[in-house]
Amino acid sequence: MTSKAFHTSTAKTLVATIASIAMLAIFAAPSRADDDSSILRFNRGTVEPARLTLPANTPVKLQVINAGDAAVEFESFELHRERVVQPGQTITVNIPRLAPGTYEFVDDFSHGAVKGEIVSR
Amino acid sequence: MGRFFPAILYSAAIALLVAQFVRLDRSNPGVQGDLSAPALVKEALQRSCYDCHSNQTRWPWYSAAAPLSWWIHYEVEEGRRRLNFSSWTDYVSDPGTEDQKLNEIAHLIANDAMPPWYYRAMHPDAHLTLPERAAITRWIVDEKSSHALSTGDRSERSAR
Repeated sequence: MTSKAFHTSTAKTLVATIASIAMLAIFAAPSRADDDSSILRFNRGTVEPARLTLPANTPVKLQVINAGDAAVEFESFELHRERVVQPGQTITVNIPRLAPGTYEFVDDFSHGAVKGEIVSR
Repeated sequence: MGRFFPAILYSAAIALLVAQFVRLDRSNPGVQGDLSAPALVKEALQRSCYDCHSNQTRWPWYSAAAPLSWWIHYEVEEGRRRLNFSSWTDYVSDPGTEDQKLNEIAHLIANDAMPPWYYRAMHPDAHLTLPERAAITRWIVDEKSSHALSTGDRSERSAR
């Protein structure tokens, strides 16, 4: 093998390795939707977490789980979101890009007894 | 009783006078993303619903007179919180929320629950005619059908 051919082969290997690492980094990173931090879980008069932190200025697909035995209504007047979640159901709520701040939500069926807030920062 | 009646009357008049100094904001916020609907539907909703359910409230003269003003102000605030046609595009950005708002409108229309009787008493033109109700109901069905077609995978899962 000549010196030129050796260098070309090394360069190709290097490029292929870097590309592989980049692909792994892209596809192995957990998406926000799969992340536990974008899940709200209602269960028999409680909601967890009651204070959910989401990244500011980033759209989020929020999973809302009703693990209880009665329907709940996830409602946020500030976010203009209102969804009924039947017992045993999981729904996805599209949360738009939020300016940094605090946004309240309630289970409207509980008449405000079950509530929490989404903190965007 | 006869001795106290004038005193009660004077007290009420003074309280009413003082109440006029509690002024509430009657300005309308900006319209961010108004509802887009067929003309007949839009006109009917504007005439019957928009005073309480939009940022385009027509404030009547008596909405400046306390204590009526306090009640009207509360009705408008609560109405906008529950359903605001001026923020409709926000609902559209979460199709499930838009569907729910449409379901609620359909339910209220079917039960003749909106506008409320006391609003209709003050605004006889707010009454929705049968053709208008039919048009709104048809529009809701069409909207929901188009959602179902465009988001065929909007099925919900069982909770973990």
